[in-house]
Amino acid sequence: MTRAVTRAVITGAGAVSAFGVGLRKLFDGLVAGGSRIAPIHSFDAATFETKVACEVDVGVITPAWLQGHMGTSGPLLHQLQLAGAWRDRKCGFGLLAAVEAWRMAGCGAGEREASLVMALGLEQGFMDDFAPYFHDGQIDWQEEAADAGRAIRFRSDVDLCALIVGEVLQLDGPVVVNASACAAGGLALAHAASLIERGAADIVLCGGADSMVNPFGLGGMSRLGAPSPRAQQDACRPFDRRRDGLVIGEGAAMFVLESEERAARRGARVLARVLGYGSTQDAYRVTAPRPDGAAAQRAMQLALARARLDASGIGYINAHGTGTPLNDVAEARAIRGAFGFHADTLPVSSIKGAIGHLMAASGAIEAAACLLPFERGILPGTANHLEKDAQCEVAVIGETAREARVDAVLSNSFGFGGQNVSLILGRPC
Amino acid sequence: MRDVYISGAAAVSALGFDWRGMGAAVLAGAPGFSASRQLLDTHGTVLGAQVPVIPVQIDVDARSRKLMSHPARLAAVALRLALHGAAWPQQVREEIALYLGVGASGCAMDELNRMLAESIAEREFSQERFGSAGLAACNPLFAFQLMNNFTLCHGAILNGTGGANGAFFSRGTGTVAALAEARWHIAAGECARALAGGADSAMHPVTWAQLVRDGYPARGYIPGEGAGVLALSADAGGALARLEKIAFHSARAYAQAPLRLTGEELADAASDDLIVLAPWGSSARERLHGALEGTRARVVDASIVFGDALAAAPALAWCAALDLLQQGQWRRAFVLSAGIDGGIGLAVLGHVP
Repeated sequence: MTRAVTRAVITGAGAVSAFGVGLRKLFDGLVAGGSRIAPIHSFDAATFETKVACEVDVGVITPAWLQGHMGTSGPLLHQLQLAGAWRDRKCGFGLLAAVEAWRMAGCGAGEREASLVMALGLEQGFMDDFAPYFHDGQIDWQEEAADAGRAIRFRSDVDLCALIVGEVLQLDGPVVVNASACAAGGLALAHAASLIERGAADIVLCGGADSMVNPFGLGGMSRLGAPSPRAQQDACRPFDRRRDGLVIGEGAAMFVLESEERAARRGARVLARVLGYGSTQDAYRVTAPRPDGAAAQRAMQLALARARLDASGIGYINAHGTGTPLNDVAEARAIRGAFGFHADTLPVSSIKGAIGHLMAASGAIEAAACLLPFERGILPGTANHLEKDAQCEVAVIGETAREARVDAVLSNSFGFGGQNVSLILGRPC
Repeated sequence: MRDVYISGAAAVSALGFDWRGMGAAVLAGAPGFSASRQLLDTHGTVLGAQVPVIPVQIDVDARSRKLMSHPARLAAVALRLALHGAAWPQQVREEIALYLGVGASGCAMDELNRMLAESIAEREFSQERFGSAGLAACNPLFAFQLMNNFTLCHGAILNGTGGANGAFFSRGTGTVAALAEARWHIAAGECARALAGGADSAMHPVTWAQLVRDGYPARGYIPGEGAGVLALSADAGGALARLEKIAFHSARAYAQAPLRLTGEELADAASDDLIVLAPWGSSARERLHGALEGTRARVVDASIVFGDALAAAPALAWCAALDLLQQGQWRRAFVLSAGIDGGIGLAVLGHVP
């Protein structure tokens, strides 16, 4: 394996989650503990199998709400409102997180050549748009085409959020939209770090945004049987013996990555170093992760090798930890395979019991949570983890966050379809 | 950094299931358009560059097809053909990297219609009915047709590729980014073998309806579909070509400096070089042709044969360029792709030294 000469560092971060808008809110929520799982309020889910989610506390996203958090205004937000952009909630979340990260890193006109690497989830399906043209069991497309007066969008654009972020921040660098489902957020950070290391970019704005808290998104996941059937605050119980499924969350996390040298040159504060990453594919089944966790284990080992660390060098693992029966067992096996006896004591937690599964943004928000040990000396807990599962032989941190000083942390993200990625972040020098 | 070679290729296109012959068709400028089977029931006769019926001996199994979008099926077939063409041993598949440019979602219309039938009454969509009956009317695994990354994952699962991977959403340049990522993995010694390409279809009824609504057909847009895959390695032995360079620029940068590409990337294109264009939409086509005025290289347009195949367009053009390069007439092939968002990408293929 090629040894990287240039190391990527994180100099800005922004987050939007069920704990609120801003990285500080995420940190405060994770430190305080507890779960943000609650009945869905952004639409009426009374007849849906899944009735709970971890939502960002906003009913309808408006330019005023965005301006209130961004502290700036401009005609673009209103133009986008007219175009229906904010109907797709992830667009608003991604923009807020990007602006926060950009400002925290002290970026401005001098960084406009930045590349943008964004993990984005499925386009949102607007089922109600079909209704006027649906007759006798099918859509009348001729009628639809003739009805020029309606502002119809059958689905949102996959890359819309990235286009908005690029336009608002006036970024001129290449744009890559990673559409790798639940692994996309982690893959976006890995890709960004790789661009820095190989000299393909000086600075990269990266991360992910997603919201599947809408009828089509939530309904599709429910049909797969992935969400917990229980409409209770402990519906997601990662690594718990009683776990029975995930809870869908929404939000975004964005980061500014640049080389250590560049950050030092402009006096930017470093939040973390990106030490390693590795990705693999289960190549197993459409409907289930590889039960032995072998491919996930290989992703962790690749990340360790790139970071030039052995198993003892990792002080904390932020697990993918969905709370589904199959994922958590496979991930525990993978961790044990990669870390051997160190897994007996290596602290592992999942924040999905607290803020849900952010899907394409999950790897990004969990990377943001991995800054907590470096920023505040605290490892996040695992909300709703009360009963140990003998099949998950890892040292799960319970509900209470734990004080600890660690120098390197590893974050796992595994996607539907078998895509795996592991990231290793290190304490700033 | 190591040189990167093209050890194999595969294309599923309007011309069939072989990348050989694609270049000659592009050179001849002979459109291979026919009435779209996918759009016949919904939109009547729409001429497009559609993939012929897939022969059963190379197709995926019936059970897998039920879980797949059409582009995922095309990708899975192309990946299978590319692996066969590269003749890599079976035991290395777990290490093979895979990067694909993918498009928007595209589920089976009968699934969607069943869902809507249970959810709509008197031209009004009922969220209550959708939750209580609409969702139950569709295949439980319906979501796997919709997820963009499954255009990659189905192929990886069926073909057993287990290395580094990523699905990039593409309006053209995303597919070039996929090739860039795969190339870097080989060049940097991250892996020994990689597959890169793109798969998409502009002939899904919802996609086509949106293209119609946005006015593309009126501006000369011909829907296309397909999948193209290059098999990359650092092994020059038996290689078909060398992948010399990749670059891509964002929409904003290109809008601000439209000649930047010709100035910086195509400066040394000579009369014995070939430029293959893969534009997406007429505005991209016009911009590319405009930017190439005065070039000494021969310019051909792959979209004349393959239509506007969205995320697949660059990959089909790479395959056509590879075929033309094999004829020995040209020194290098510059493949330029551009999307409706204005992004632009370049891949340069050369002969094996």
